[in-house]
Amino acid sequence: MTKWGMVIDLDKCTGCQACTTACAMENNTLPGENWQDVLYYSEGTYPTAKLTWLPRPCMQCENPSCVAVCPTKATYKDMDAGGIVFVDWNKCIGCKYCMIACPYGVRFYADEKPVVEPDIRDVFPGEGQLHAPPYQGPESDSVRGIGIQPKGVVSKCTFCYHKVSKAPEGVADLDEDNPDTKEYTPACVRTCPPKARYFGDLDNPESEVNRLIADQRGVRLKDHTGNRPQVYYLGSGADVPAYQSPKKT
Amino acid sequence: MNKGNILQGPMGLMLMVVSAIVALAAFGYAFLDLQSAGHRSFNTTSQIPWGQPIATYLYFALASSGLGMIAALSLVFGFKQFLPIAKRAIYLSVVILLAGMAVLAMELGHVFRMLWVIPLNMQIHSAMFWMGVFYVADLIFLLWKFQKMEGQEWDSKTSKQIGIASFLAVLLASGNLALVFGMMSMRPFWFDGLMPIYFYLTAVASGLAAVVFFTYLAYGFNRNAMPERTRVMFEGPMGKLFAAVLGATVLFILVRAYTGFYTNTPEVNVVWREFLFASPVYQASLWLGIVAPFVVMLIAGLRSNPSLQVLVSMAVFAGLFAERYFFVVGGQVVPLFRGTWEWGLIQYTPSLTEWTLTIMGSAMLFALYAAGERFLNLSDMPAEPATPEGAVAAA
Repeated sequence: MTKWGMVIDLDKCTGCQACTTACAMENNTLPGENWQDVLYYSEGTYPTAKLTWLPRPCMQCENPSCVAVCPTKATYKDMDAGGIVFVDWNKCIGCKYCMIACPYGVRFYADEKPVVEPDIRDVFPGEGQLHAPPYQGPESDSVRGIGIQPKGVVSKCTFCYHKVSKAPEGVADLDEDNPDTKEYTPACVRTCPPKARYFGDLDNPESEVNRLIADQRGVRLKDHTGNRPQVYYLGSGADVPAYQSPKKT
Repeated sequence: MNKGNILQGPMGLMLMVVSAIVALAAFGYAFLDLQSAGHRSFNTTSQIPWGQPIATYLYFALASSGLGMIAALSLVFGFKQFLPIAKRAIYLSVVILLAGMAVLAMELGHVFRMLWVIPLNMQIHSAMFWMGVFYVADLIFLLWKFQKMEGQEWDSKTSKQIGIASFLAVLLASGNLALVFGMMSMRPFWFDGLMPIYFYLTAVASGLAAVVFFTYLAYGFNRNAMPERTRVMFEGPMGKLFAAVLGATVLFILVRAYTGFYTNTPEVNVVWREFLFASPVYQASLWLGIVAPFVVMLIAGLRSNPSLQVLVSMAVFAGLFAERYFFVVGGQVVPLFRGTWEWGLIQYTPSLTEWTLTIMGSAMLFALYAAGERFLNLSDMPAEPATPEGAVAAA
């Protein structure tokens, strides 16, 4: 069975945020509601300060804590969809417990104060959905949390399931360089200028993602929580430094 | 009916009407805000998804559980000295739980969807699912028990069985509420297997504060107006119980704080150092709302003083409310990834709408309580005096 996974090579990533932008455009997310984000953080002090960055999509965990805590089964892991974790907007009651339980902070409750002004929801008011921007993705599936969300529900990255689901059956990798698969490649992977992202089947021994994880010792973020992400990181900087009070830096 | 109970007269009517007006006004304000702006009227964010409304719900739900446990002292365990407050405690437990549920309902994105989606999906892995199940069971048993008391059925076999079931439901509900937080390994400030014990203790402390305050309120803060057995209870065992529970609460907070200051885990250490103890409000709530009341209740000459009992109950009310607030927010202030969106601790201050919900719940509690005193005889107790066995056991 297909198990979709992503590999992000931090030695290649330039932190350009093209993935963030592509994701926002593909999924009509609100400004600041970044299903995919590149986080910047710093360690040390001048002259030995180090600025690093971390691209962070939803990890689509193998053992997702968000699924276990959801009191309504609105958030669920769909093994038939390659192990992607979805939010069923028809079942979500907006309790936000999944946001508490997610160790990666990749879930959003968009019915809140705007992170960026002006509030797009007022500029493009929507009927039955949070907003109605001029361009809207043609595919929407509220059972999988795809499209423009209604009020009062939690949203998250879907690994662009509306694209991935149309890939030819049994394909090992979805690669923007391959004309046969580029249309089915997630937006963040397809747009990545330095090709720091790879997307493929973790259950297929022939896949590029498996080769990279094995050859370059792919690591998973916060693996101690037991969530076992399906997103792997390569290269230096994959270990996120522990929080330190700004006063101490 | 007791003549000393001022809430059965015009005072009660006034309290009921004024509180109901405040509750309705607060509800109206929050409802309109939520209808027009949605949860934009809250100051919660995707980084701090649970704010003051959740803290308020937690406070009310646990105070309700505490009251259920206090009622069980006499109804389940036979400490008959506490019989004079049993009926009032059960009633308060019901109305404070309803107030908490009302606040929670306003916080959810889709409250009515919950009614069908939870039973149809049976997500038994979720602690929140069980919290709902057990609190509903708790409410049913509390109401059933109260109905038995209304029918003067204090000692029948059924009444006792319902009392035991109610006590178990209270334990399961509040214990499960603790697990909603305590099982979150990704939120180390909450992650604690002993969280149910901490919740039980603080639940009883807030329950005691409620029952002491509201009983005094019923008698115009005049202990001499109380029925004989109620007065005796407040002169003796109540102060001792309050001291014991507050002492255990202080001990528990001390142990948690000590571990917090000692550990290197930033989500625990930084929270204690830079969020809790750095806040004058937290300091005040801890020292004036929990530690000072404990000291007062510890001193034999002070713990039976009626004015001090009222003061202590009010201080503990405020202290534990702050404790709940800092507990809920404290688990979220350290960003999961310090960086782009947050370089320091995440800032959160409740919005006016969030405060309005707290006011709505509190006013609802006062209105329902005043109605209870007026229409239901909450001072009622079995006519028989305390048995010698019960007296010895309680002493």
